[in-house]
Amino acid sequence: MTALLTVETVVLVLLTVVVVGLLRSHGEILRRLHALGAGLDPDAPDAPDTRIVLRPRGDLPHADAGLGPAADLSGVGLRDDAVSIPVVGVQHRTLLAFLSSGCLTCRGFWDAFARPAALGLPADVRVVVVTKDGAEESLRAVRELAAPDLAVVMSSAAWEHYAVPGSPYFALVDGAAARVVGEGTGASWEQVRSLLDHATGDEPGRAGLAAGAAATEARIDQELLAHGIRPGDPRLYRTADELTPG
Amino acid sequence: MTRLAAHGVGIDVPHGWEGRIVRRTAVNPTERPRPVVHLASFPLPEERGDFGVGVTELMRSGDVFVTLFEYGPESVGTPLFAGVGVPHLTVNLFGSRRLQRMLPGQLGCQLFFTAKQRPFCLYVVVAGRLHLRSSITQVNSVLGALDLS
Repeated sequence: MTALLTVETVVLVLLTVVVVGLLRSHGEILRRLHALGAGLDPDAPDAPDTRIVLRPRGDLPHADAGLGPAADLSGVGLRDDAVSIPVVGVQHRTLLAFLSSGCLTCRGFWDAFARPAALGLPADVRVVVVTKDGAEESLRAVRELAAPDLAVVMSSAAWEHYAVPGSPYFALVDGAAARVVGEGTGASWEQVRSLLDHATGDEPGRAGLAAGAAATEARIDQELLAHGIRPGDPRLYRTADELTPG
Repeated sequence: MTRLAAHGVGIDVPHGWEGRIVRRTAVNPTERPRPVVHLASFPLPEERGDFGVGVTELMRSGDVFVTLFEYGPESVGTPLFAGVGVPHLTVNLFGSRRLQRMLPGQLGCQLFFTAKQRPFCLYVVVAGRLHLRSSITQVNSVLGALDLS
């Protein structure tokens, strides 16, 4: 009986030592995490903002390592096709989404792009997904992830040209201005939307562009009216068969 | 210009235009899919028919859509493909009744020919007659640099 009590006492002491050690270790881990700024309370006043922030181009922390000038996309599609998509010299903007099939964060974007109506994008923004070449990316996996009506280009060259640091990454290209107006990454589509909002707000030239197009349309209308051509005039709808060749 | 090449077809895509050279998946084991070239001066939808179904409905004034569709070798020598060489477009080849799908304001042109012993159909749609001549000039420039290997 005495021996049993002794053994139990020894086991209890050992277990106490182990528990105390674990608690000390846990406390040390928490202390170090707190020192690194990863407090458990996100509302704490001294908690740093750990969200990924999307920045307009000019706010890049190291601009010299940032994205280069905008360039058209050339590569391979998902249907045994060669693809060339212009993003420069066009009247719309293009949101380049650099995604991969392997990254978990990208999955949310593949899913989001399958519901284009829910993206809430401005009418002049076209989404094009850019993955790496077939040598570095699984064509079969990308086919399974991509919605049928989603434009996808497999082009490692585009990743290099836009100096993409990793996936997911986004670049908003203004085709008329032939420049990148926003870039960055985010963990969710909502964060990327903030990139678009931010970039749009940084574009004083767009209002002028729209005004220029409206002025051109008004001038054409005036010229047609000056020649007696009004809306519905049959001369507006003549076919080439009715034109004189040459 | 961007050079686009695949499936034995090489083409210069004009600046600001979009291009695809696609080969459809075979429907049955005996079928050998042929290349289809699509060029457009506007963004192409991903889901589109070989001859512009799903595309021409989206065209606005000044837009141009081009299809170059290759047929099988059994078509070589048939009357429909008697024309030899890549054609040169002119205004009088276009008409609203030459469209596969007639839409207001659009003019179309459809030509069958054989080049390098390969039978093709060239189908061009232009939206807006005011843009016809300039569009033809651009398409002829593309056709002039067409490489069929």
